[in-house]
Amino acid sequence: MNGSRHDRSGRAEAVTVRFAFTPAAAYVRAARLVAADVAAHAGVATGLLDEVRQAVGEACTRAVLRHRDRGIEDLVRVEFAIGDRFVAKITDNAQDLRARSDGRIPAGVGGGDARANDHDAIEEDTFSEEITLIVLGGLVEDLVVTGPGADGSTTVSMSWPLPGSGPGADH
Amino acid sequence: MRGTSGDGAAEPELGLGLSEVGDYAVISVTGEIDMYTAPQLREAVRQLAAEGRMRVAIDLTTTEFCDSTGLGVLIGARRRLSDSGGSLVVVCANPRIRKLLDLTGLDKVLDVREAVPGE
Repeated sequence: MNGSRHDRSGRAEAVTVRFAFTPAAAYVRAARLVAADVAAHAGVATGLLDEVRQAVGEACTRAVLRHRDRGIEDLVRVEFAIGDRFVAKITDNAQDLRARSDGRIPAGVGGGDARANDHDAIEEDTFSEEITLIVLGGLVEDLVVTGPGADGSTTVSMSWPLPGSGPGADH
Repeated sequence: MRGTSGDGAAEPELGLGLSEVGDYAVISVTGEIDMYTAPQLREAVRQLAAEGRMRVAIDLTTTEFCDSTGLGVLIGARRRLSDSGGSLVVVCANPRIRKLLDLTGLDKVLDVREAVPGE
C-alpha cells in the first residue's frame, strides 16, 4: 500500500485508500491500525501517528455505535486521501438530528467538562457516542462533521499536515 | 490472548491481572481497551463488586491504548462502586491516556493517581 505516488515530473499525486467494514466492534481496531499505517506511509509526522490512530478509532467507534443503536447493518465507510494533507473520512449511515447545519463541532471541550461533572447525566451505555465527539473535538484541530445527507449519513472528516504542505502545516 | 477471528483478522489484545494492594482490589490492564475489549473490563469490575470488593483500583500503567469506550467503562465502574458505598481509583501515568482524561474533564471526576493507595 503506497502512501504516495509520483507522476513523471516527480510531483506527488493525490492517493486514496478506501474501504468499508461491517459495523462490529471487532473491526474498529483494524481500521485504526490501517489509518496509522497509511498516515505513516503518507509522511505524517511520527509524533502525530498516535493522534491519527486514536481519532480514526474514535470516529469508527462512533459510526459503529450509531449503526448498532439504530439496528443498521450497512457498512461503515472509511477513506484516506493523501494530497496536500492527510485526510481521513469516516461515514456512517445513521440519521443524526444533532449534527449542526454548518457541520462544525465547537472548538474546545468545555462541554465535556460540564457533562463530566454532571454525574447524574452520565450513563455508560449512552456516554460513548457523545464522548467520541468530545475526544475528537479536543484531539483534532481540523475536524468537521457533516450530515445528515440525503441518505441519512454523517461524515467525520479530519486532516493532518504533511511535510511541505505550506504555512500552517505544523498545526 | 491475541487470537484470530474466523476470517483470520487479528483480534485486539486485552490482559486483566488481579491483585490486592492494601484495601484495594487491583485490576491491572495490559493491551488495548476499545469497544471490542471494554466489556471484559466492565465484567471484571462487576465480578469484584459481586464478591463484595467495593474498593477497586484500575491500573492503566501498562495499558497500550484506551479509547472513549474505555473511559465509559471507568465512569460506569465509578458510579456502580460509589452507589454501593465503595470507590474507584484509576492509576494512570500514561501521558496519552492522561490527555484523554484531561480532554474529557474526567480527570476532575475520577480519582486518578500515580499509584495504588498504600502501594
